[in-house]
Parts: sequence; structure tokens; C-alpha cells
Amino acid sequence: METSVGMLALTSPSITVAWTRTCGNLRSWEQQEVTWTCSRSSAPPGSITTSSKSISSSSDWKRTNSDAAKIRAIEKSVVPWVRDGDVPFCPDCGTKFNLRNRRHHCRLCGSIMCRKCVEFVPLPLAQKLINGTREALSFAGSRSQSQSPSGVGSRRGSVSSMSSVTSVIDDKDDEKIRCCRHCTDTLRKKQHKLDDKDFVPDIVKLYERLRMCMDKVDEKAPEYIRMAESLNAGETTYNLDTAGGLRLEVQKYYELIDALSKKILTLGVKNDPQPHPKALQLQRMVRYSATLFVQEKLLGLMSLPTKEKYEELKENRKRQQEMRLQQERLAAQEVVTRNRPAASSNGEPPLAPRAVSMTKAGGWLPSPDSSGHVRRALDDPLLQQIENIRSFLRQAREASRTDEATMLEENLRQLQDEYDRRQTDLALALSQKLAEEENERQGELRRLEAWERAENKRGSPTQQADFDHVSPDASSLAEEFPPANADGHGNLPCDEASTPVEEDPSNPFCEDIKRERMEAASEKREYNPFDEDDTQNDCVPSNPFEEEEEHDNADSGNPFAEEDERDDNMGSRNPFAECSKAGSSTNPFDCDDDDNVDLIEEELLLQQIDNIRAYIFDAKLSGRTDEVELLAENLRELQQALREHKKNEL
Amino acid sequence: MNVTLAVKQYISKMIESSGAGMKVLLMDKETTSIVSVVYTQSEILQKEVYLFERIDSQSRESMKHLKAICFLRPTKENVEHLIQELRRPKYSVYFIYFSNVISKSEIKALAEADEQEVVAEVQEFYGDFIAVNPHVFSLNLQGVAKGRSWDPSVLWRCTQGLTSVLLALKKCPMIRYQLSSDMSKRLAENVKQIITKEYELFDFRKTEVPPLLLILDRSDDAITPLLNQWTYQAMVHELLGINNNRIDLSRVPGISKDLREVVLSAENDEFYANNLYLNFGEIGTNIKNLMEDFQKKRPKGQQKLESISDMKAFVDNYPQFKKMSGTVSKHVTVVGELSRLVAERQLMEVSEVEQELACQNDHSSAQQNVRRLLQNPRVSEMDAVRLVALYALRYERHSASILPALMEQLTRRGVSEARRRMVQCVVEYGGKRVRGSDLITPTDAVAITKQFFKGLKGVENVYAQHQPLLHDTLDQLIKGRLKDSQFPYLGASSLRDRPQDVIVFVIGGATYEEALCVYNMNRSTPGVRIVLGGSSMLNTKSFLEEVMSSTSSGGERSQGISRYSNRH
Repeated sequence: METSVGMLALTSPSITVAWTRTCGNLRSWEQQEVTWTCSRSSAPPGSITTSSKSISSSSDWKRTNSDAAKIRAIEKSVVPWVRDGDVPFCPDCGTKFNLRNRRHHCRLCGSIMCRKCVEFVPLPLAQKLINGTREALSFAGSRSQSQSPSGVGSRRGSVSSMSSVTSVIDDKDDEKIRCCRHCTDTLRKKQHKLDDKDFVPDIVKLYERLRMCMDKVDEKAPEYIRMAESLNAGETTYNLDTAGGLRLEVQKYYELIDALSKKILTLGVKNDPQPHPKALQLQRMVRYSATLFVQEKLLGLMSLPTKEKYEELKENRKRQQEMRLQQERLAAQEVVTRNRPAASSNGEPPLAPRAVSMTKAGGWLPSPDSSGHVRRALDDPLLQQIENIRSFLRQAREASRTDEATMLEENLRQLQDEYDRRQTDLALALSQKLAEEENERQGELRRLEAWERAENKRGSPTQQADFDHVSPDASSLAEEFPPANADGHGNLPCDEASTPVEEDPSNPFCEDIKRERMEAASEKREYNPFDEDDTQNDCVPSNPFEEEEEHDNADSGNPFAEEDERDDNMGSRNPFAECSKAGSSTNPFDCDDDDNVDLIEEELLLQQIDNIRAYIFDAKLSGRTDEVELLAENLRELQQALREHKKNEL
Repeated sequence: MNVTLAVKQYISKMIESSGAGMKVLLMDKETTSIVSVVYTQSEILQKEVYLFERIDSQSRESMKHLKAICFLRPTKENVEHLIQELRRPKYSVYFIYFSNVISKSEIKALAEADEQEVVAEVQEFYGDFIAVNPHVFSLNLQGVAKGRSWDPSVLWRCTQGLTSVLLALKKCPMIRYQLSSDMSKRLAENVKQIITKEYELFDFRKTEVPPLLLILDRSDDAITPLLNQWTYQAMVHELLGINNNRIDLSRVPGISKDLREVVLSAENDEFYANNLYLNFGEIGTNIKNLMEDFQKKRPKGQQKLESISDMKAFVDNYPQFKKMSGTVSKHVTVVGELSRLVAERQLMEVSEVEQELACQNDHSSAQQNVRRLLQNPRVSEMDAVRLVALYALRYERHSASILPALMEQLTRRGVSEARRRMVQCVVEYGGKRVRGSDLITPTDAVAITKQFFKGLKGVENVYAQHQPLLHDTLDQLIKGRLKDSQFPYLGASSLRDRPQDVIVFVIGGATYEEALCVYNMNRSTPGVRIVLGGSSMLNTKSFLEEVMSSTSSGGERSQGISRYSNRH
């Protein structure tokens, strides 16, 4: 059969070279023919046959002297020179060779040409190409290499030849390599390629930073969530301040991701020759995926309790644990009394005196002191039980009865779990009630807004855009603007009960907002709570810088809107779009690519606004006014953009 | 034996092996479908693939900061495009994956074009089919049979598709084919040839019981694709048409802009995954439950959700809600449209008669019912034709056949000549003369008694009486009772034990009713895993087109028709 197992090894004309200096003026180089290997994987990935890697015809030679004749010999040994007699005419221009018009050999491929057709490769360029190719080889080392049957293929423009030639001439006067036109062409191409590699476009720089931030978030966010969960449960495993610090850090990364992706989105938009539509599409897709990322992760980021709240939580937990212990103790007591009917019948007092009697043979009872004290504080039977068990446990430990202690511990844990469960149930019920109330309010609000908007349309359409219906709370926002993904796969969990931010009843800000919104709605006037916040915070409504920003944004043309228009033009060049237009093959992508671009744009904006609001909210909570200012500015910018966008759409 | 998973793994492997950095996915028309059926855009975005391009697209810009992942079928055109691309590379590195076996000479041509050394990897990843469901694949080929024989290019594509399924599932099967069909024999031989030629590729770990490839011909069961369906996936395909998981709703009256075209993919849509095989009534209940769940959260739920149209109104009235539940609104729209069509076309009555025709043996009642429905002006032209076609197939040789009268009735209804000819074509395509199996009247005693008892018991659901012929065939196959005289083995060896892993391929296309049937068999028979494939996924419309192109009388004209209707 023709095909060899698992791979096809084929010669290719491409030759890459690695050369290494071994010592002093001794150089050895090895030449590798890099060929393609077609490896076949007949199974789902994982079982791909990796092709063998081998190095072919490696020839080493050493040079000790740079004597002219020897150089010539070496040059000839690099590449077999075409015999003079074989070529009566210059192959490139066709002039006859004679005594005047002498033959010249290309040092790289060995072919013959006349003086007019000779070209020279300057040494620095040669050096650069050699170094560049060596790097390329280190990359190529990772791919399949295979033996080639013969080392001689077309050597046109071969860097390997050049490297050996340069090694000879480096100390001579003429710092260039004589070679033919064809070889220089190839070399020039190679040079372009190397240049391309060195040139890193802005988008790549930004993108690399973006990915770094995403990796960091992936790393830190789970850690934070673990901390926040533990803290919200009132545990003392983690420190509130460290968690706060981590939260800040994660949020910083989100801001960074956001800023970076925004920068990517607007790259080159203001340049005069507009970037290629494909480039813009790429930028938009990067931005879109970054937004999806932020949205997905940010929603999972629960808030931390405030200091007072945390104290309260800790207190609660302590109490719960105590209660549980007591109950467990009671249960144990029952067990004990049941187990020791004989002892009590003996007339031994079931209640131990103040000093608890601890005999190794007998059990123990709750010490009357502690239980009495606790009982006053706790009336939940579960908690009492927990408290009881705790004291048993203490006694068991003191009596160093480890098996019993472990049993009690087990018992204690069960009780605690049970209690926790009940508490969470209670909390859930409470939060559901709250959520329902909230829903009701929002529903009313929305209806009012809808009515109001209708009014506005009839009245003055120039009035401020309808941002007022965007509720300022991050999570409720998310609820209002989930990704309008018709596919349904992008739906984020927007369960109100799952986000503590919203329903946290102790959150004064939240209440404020609600009140404000209610006011806004009932008074039926344009009233954006965030605008007010801004003025409160920076107190300089006529900040010239801000003005400029807005102005700039307005007349430079909103990038989103522009892209929209452009997208229409290029839509037809998109393969997905193409096939949808041809109608022969439709696929789920093009709907996203094509129809939803408007949606994506608007969605992006809205998502961004959500995010920023969440940041503001957070910044306010932690009292970082300078940040609030900055963010507020950002927010206004975005709102402006959205308004522009909407206008354009109309 | 999960085709969806196999393709998904191939693609994620492709993307992973290119490392970090921004990527572009270069595909051809067919691989675009292959990829898009198993992955959504946002899933691929997460893997840093930001652009999707066609290899034949001229407007691509040079972007040296992107890595290119090429997933292409090994066709001549693609190799030519790739050679052009490599001569003037637009991206920094190329990772090339062919969806099937590629020849040595083409690799050589590519290697020679790679002057700038941009190719990092060339591999064959055998994902050369469209994974419709985990146990169903399709090749999206229309007009397979031309006058009962293979078009060479289509035969080659089918062979490629089938061998790639075998490679992806790591099966080197024994092959059985339907004796009555010459086409299945040809295909079986071609597949065998490839297996022999590429024997190294098919050198898998031997299993105790070798897997089995069964090749069937649609013409053996022309009834199944003519029936109305009542399970979700099948019904959507029958009434709306599923094309690579997408459903065109643009003709739905009053449809909103973002629902003109929706994607139904069990991979990403939990509701769809759960309701794929449930019948229409159950889906209605499920949707209602879902909506009521949402409604509970809303204030002042005065309005009751009694009917599907109520639900639609409810969703329309709450734009916020609509956004919140993209999936739900999608399904409400789809189910709403289905129920509208069912009511408008009186599909309940039509389906009842269809089922009676397909499953009962009472000629006088059947002919009365068909006559009655043909007189009903609300029954659509298509349904009228399909009823007559079913009657013609079922009572082809009946002494008291009223087919001429029915055809006359069709003419009176104003049914076009082309449509009327379809009845004749269906009989020609799947009539008694052609069939190898006993589709209609069972001949052996066991089957006759079975049918007799079925008649005594009565039916649970009048709309789901029909069992496709495939069910019986597979049932016999699993029990080791499938007759060698009807379904011979290719080659000398034959299977001693009962088969465990079975791949069934239907030339001319499979239906979703059969997909459901295979799904149920996989669940009910432990140890047996069946994968169903077809040259396409059929509904009545596409089946009739297939029939027209295959029967000689349909000829060239219907080919034009099918091409035209494909575009819609």
C-alpha cells in the first residue's frame, strides 16, 4: 500500500537551518530538512499518531583558515557550482559569455549569471536572516519533522547556504554575498516574513493584556467567592479585610478587562483610512466575548457583609452553634438516662453536683452552670441541643475519650447542619417575600414608565433618553437586560434570590435607590438618580473637561453607530452571511454575525452601563469618592453613546 | 457511539492544539454546517476564535496577528484555494485539518505551495458528517438517486461520509445491505473498498462482537416520510423545516424581528433537549408550566393561561419578560406556530386518516375517509396529495381501488399537474414492484398474529399508531432473525452473535420518526447501541422532491423544482 502507517512523509523545498557555535573559531552547523508530516488521527483526538521527529543529513565541517583558495573550496562545498562549460549564455539576460563578459556564480544556489545580473546580499541582512531562521527553527522544532530522502532539493534562496557562506566571508573586505536574482527574491520574501513577525500590532498587545487579566480573574474569583461565602455565613475562617482587598483586586481586573476591550473596540476607528471591515469585526468580537466574560463572572461575585453586619453574623452563628450544642446535649442526656436506668435506680442523683463527676465508667451531664446560662439566651430547642452536645463534647475531651468525642462531634455537625438548613430556609422565604415585593414595585414602575414614555413620544421627543427606566442596581439591571440571546444558551442566571446585593435589606443604598425611583416615577419627571449622584460627588457640573469629553464623543461620531453602518456593507463578504443570503446553507452563526449586530452593539452598551453601575455602587460602599467620580464620568459617556446609537437606529 | 460528541471533540482538539492567541476559523460551505451544528458562536468565542471565514471568500484581509485553523473537506477546489492561500498567506500560522482522507499528491502540492513556511500542522480529523442528534447523522445530500442509480459524485460523497462516521466512532464493521436495492449494494461495496484500502486507519482494537453497518434504501419504506408527525423535533421539521438546527420563522404572521430565524439545538437548549421526543400535547403542558412559573413571579396575574395563543399574547405583552426568557419565548413562538398550522390545516383529522391508511386494513372505511377529506376545503393541497399517495401505496393492488376517482377529485380541487404526478412517482419509487420487505401486508404467521392482537387491543393514541419499518428491521437484527436472503452480508463472513453496535444508513434520507424509534430502541435494549444516518433528514416536502428526482418520469424538471425549493 502506498500510505505508510499514520503518516505521510514528503519532501518539501523549504529548508531551515540551525547552527551552533561550539567553541572559539570553530563552527559546526547542522542542516535540517523540515518536511511536512501528515499525521492521521483516526479517532477523536487524543489518539493522534505523532510522527517521528528526526534530523536528516547533518553534515559538520570545520574551518580553521580563511585563505582565499580555501574559501573558494568551502564555498563550492556549500553548494555545487554549475560547470562553466555548461552555460554559454547568461540564463537571465541571454548575453553570451566571453572573456569580457565573465561568468559569476551565485554563492547560494551555484548557478551562473553575468555581471549585470549579479546581485549582492549585504552581510548584516544575511546575519539577520540567519538568526531569524534559527528562531523559526526553534519554533519548528515543535512540529513534526521527518527525514527527507535526499538533501538536495531546490536550494534557491536557501538560508543554509547563506549561513555557511557568511561564515567564510565575515572577515573579508567585501561585506556582501554574491548571488542571483532568484535567490535575492526569495531572501527578500523571507525578510518580509521576519519583519512581520517582529511587528506586533496594537491589538495584539492589548489582547495579550486582556487575556492576562482574564486569567487572573479566573484564578482569583473562585478564591474570593469561597471567602465571601464563608464570611456571609458568619464563619471566622477568613478575615473580612483580606476578602475586601481581594474583591477590590478582582474588580480592578474587571475594570481593566473592560477598559482594554473597549480600547480594542475603538482601535483605529478614528483613523482616516478606516481599518478593514474584517479588522473591525475582529475587534467587535473580542469586545463581545470580553463583555460576556465580565458579565458572567461579575454576577457570581457576591458582596461582602459590612463590618457591623459581619459582627452580627458572627454573633448569630455563635448563638446557633451554642444552641445546637445544647440540643445535642439534651439528646445525649436522653440517651444517657436511657442507658443508665440502673444507676438512677441506685439512688444516685441524676443531676451532678457543681463539680461534674467524671468517672471513666460513667457518662456525664451538662454542667448546670453553663446550661442554665445558655438556656436563658436560647429558646430554640435545636440550639439548646447544640449547646448540650458541645458541653458533652468538652467533657469527653477532658476525659480523653476520643471515640466518644468523635461520635459527639459527628452528632454536633449534624445538628448544626440541620439548624443551618432551617435558617437558610427561613432566609429564603424572607428573601422571596422581599423579591416579590420588589417585583411588584418594579412592575408598577415599569407600567408607569411605559406610560410616561408614550407621553414623551407624543410630547417632546428630544427629552432625555429613557435611561430612567434602567434601575441602578447591578443585579436588578441584569434582570432587565439579560443578553438577548435568541439561542437561549447565553442566558445568565438572573434569579433575584441568588444575588445578595439586591435583596440585602440592610443595604441603605438599595433602599435609597428604590425610593428615588419611586419618586421619579410618581412625579413623572425626568429624573436620573445617577445624574444626581454625579453632581453630589463632583459638585462641579460645569467641569470643562467633562464637557469636552462629552462634546468630543458626540461630534467625533459614535464609534458604535459607525460600525453598524459599515457592518452592513461588509456583511455580504462574510462567509456565514453569504450562505444565509444564498439560502442554501444556513447556520446558527450568521444570525449572530449578521442580524444581531445591532443588538450586540446595544447590548454591549447596556451591559457596559450595568457593569459601571455595579462598580459605582461598590465604590460608594467602600467610600472611594475619587473612583466614583471617574466611573460616573464613564457612565455618562456611555449613556451618551447609547443615545447616539438609538438616534441612529431611528 | 455518540456522533455529536465525536465532532465536538475533533473541533475542540483543533482549536486547542493551536495554542493561545486570537484565531480565525477557515472553513468551506460544508464544514461550516458541520461545525455550526455542534457549536454555538459564543461557545467558540470562549476558545479565542473570533472570526469565521470561508476559504473561498475573496474579501479576507491580511491579518498576520491571527492564527488560522483550517477545517476543510479534502476536495479539489479546497486544496486549490488552500494552495493560493499558502502562496500569499494572510495569517501568521496555519493549522490545517481535513475532514477526510487526503491523497499524498495533494499533500505534496500543498507542501510545495508553502514557500513561506506558515503551515504548522496538517492532520485528518474525520468529522465529515453533520451530527444531528447524538445518535443521528446526516450528509445533507439532496437528490441522491437519479433514476434508481448513483450519481458518481454523490456516491463518492456518501462513501466518504460513511467511512468518516466509522472512523470517528472507531468502528471497522461487517456490512449488510438491502438486496432489493442496487444502490445499497454499490454503496456497501465502495465502503468496503475504502476499508480495505485504508486498512491501517481501520485497525481498531477488536471487540468481542464486531460492529455492523446496515445499508438500507428509502424506497423500501415510502410510507414513513409521508406521515404527519406529532413529536416535537419531527413535527417542527415536518411543518417548519429544520436546516442545520435552524428554523425559518419568517413566514409566521406577525413575527418579531429577532425571532425570524431561531436555533433549536439540544446541546444548548435545555427545554428543547428535554422535549425533543415528547408529543405535542406534552410539550403544550410543559410550556404552560414553565410560563406559569414565570407568571407567579409577576404581579397581578389576572389573566389565565388557558391556550397557547393566550401564552403568546402574554409573552408579547411583556417585552422585559421576553428578554428574560429568550428560550421560552422561542419555544412559545414555535409551538404557537405549530398549533396554528395544525388548526388551519386540520392536521388532526388528516393525521388520523393517514395513520388509518398506514396501519389498518379496512379499505372501505379508508376510502370513505380519504374522499371526505378531499372534499374538505381546509385541507391543504399538499395534504390532499399526500393522502392520495398514501392510499395509492397502501392499496396499490387492491381489487376495488378507487385511485382514478381520487385523482379525478384532486383535479377538481385544482391541484396542479406537477403535484398530481407526484402520486404516480411515489408509487413508482416505493411501490410493491420495488420493495424488498413486507412493508404493508405481513407474510409470516408471527407478524400476522401480532397485527391481529394489535387490532383487538385497540390503539392508545390514534396519531401514533404507526411504527416505521425500520423498527421491525432493527428488532429482527438485534434478535438475530434478520433474513440473510433479504439483507445479505458483504463478503464471506457473517455475524454469529447478536449485534451490539449497529450503524444504519438510509440511502435517500432518514426521518425524525425513525430517529425517535432508534432513540427508544437504544433506551429499551441494554447493550445495544444504534446510530442512524441518512443522506439527508426528510420531511414530506423534501421526500417528494427526492422522489421526483429519482423516478425517471420526474426527470429533469423536478430537479429544477428541488433546486428551487432548496433555496427557500
